Amino acid sequence: MACVPAELIPLKILVAGGFGVGKTTLVRAVSEIPPLLTEETMTAASEGVDDTAAVPDKRTTTVAMDFGRITVDDTLVVYLFGTPGQHRFWFMWDELARGCVGAVVLVDLRRIDDSFAAVDYFESRRVPFVIGVNDFPDTGVHDEEAVRDALALAADVPVVRMDARSADSGIRVLVTLVEHALARAEARRAPAYGAATPM
Amino acid sequence: MTDDPRQGGRVVPVYAVTGGRTRAGDHDLPIEAVVTATAADSGLDDLQPEYRAILDLAHNPVALVEVAAGLGVPIGVARVLVSDLAEAGHIAVHTPEYTDGPPPQVLARLLDGLRAR
Repeated sequence: MACVPAELIPLKILVAGGFGVGKTTLVRAVSEIPPLLTEETMTAASEGVDDTAAVPDKRTTTVAMDFGRITVDDTLVVYLFGTPGQHRFWFMWDELARGCVGAVVLVDLRRIDDSFAAVDYFESRRVPFVIGVNDFPDTGVHDEEAVRDALALAADVPVVRMDARSADSGIRVLVTLVEHALARAEARRAPAYGAATPM
Repeated sequence: MTDDPRQGGRVVPVYAVTGGRTRAGDHDLPIEAVVTATAADSGLDDLQPEYRAILDLAHNPVALVEVAAGLGVPIGVARVLVSDLAEAGHIAVHTPEYTDGPPPQVLARLLDGLRAR
């Protein structure tokens, strides 16, 4: 029988964004296992939500999802989930987002708007996220302000240019995300001294 | 329900194994919950193949989502089967159940680990 550490902590990070933006590529680049495809079914996940109207065709009730894994140390393991970005899959996101570290929202500069639904979702649920601008060959100059404007980003949301095919680049984005999540978690814990005092 | 070609080779629908259940009791295991086989090896011969397959996977720590992919079943089905095994004492479930995200000390360890890569 395998020796199991007493404290085993699974964590999860979401990779979101529009169709074809590089979610699977990023999961594959940083995962220590070949990305696996799994599926979630509406019957399992949507009870209590009771919103099958959100799914246009009732037969299309399974959703494929990529996932990968990074073993961080003896007790910490991170699962990465590449999730479909459309509104109609939000029933799945609610489960995925619960208790997660945060999310990487991938952006293709040619189709920035495709990532707006994901940004909107994580904003509204107060899930920490970073924007990863995926470096496609013909996307031209990175204009961070244009991305911020198009996605109506809060000032503290990091925007990182990256290459979803590169493990190093992918890990750097994850580091940026965790730094951001840590800063937010600490801010939440620590009482904001002086916050109640008029300046 | 079972005409999905990806389930080719399966004779009995997976929902027959779960007795038609797609929910695993009052609270659902999170998708990233990690399970490990416990040392109790008695009574395993009577288990259905799907349960035994999970126990084989769980010799090393494995997440619910990996169980689903390994068995080729939807997560909801894997969740029911894993919950059955946990109730029977055949596997231990590790789940931190952070509602508001991991606490700072866990995030700090994660950050150290990622930076070291």
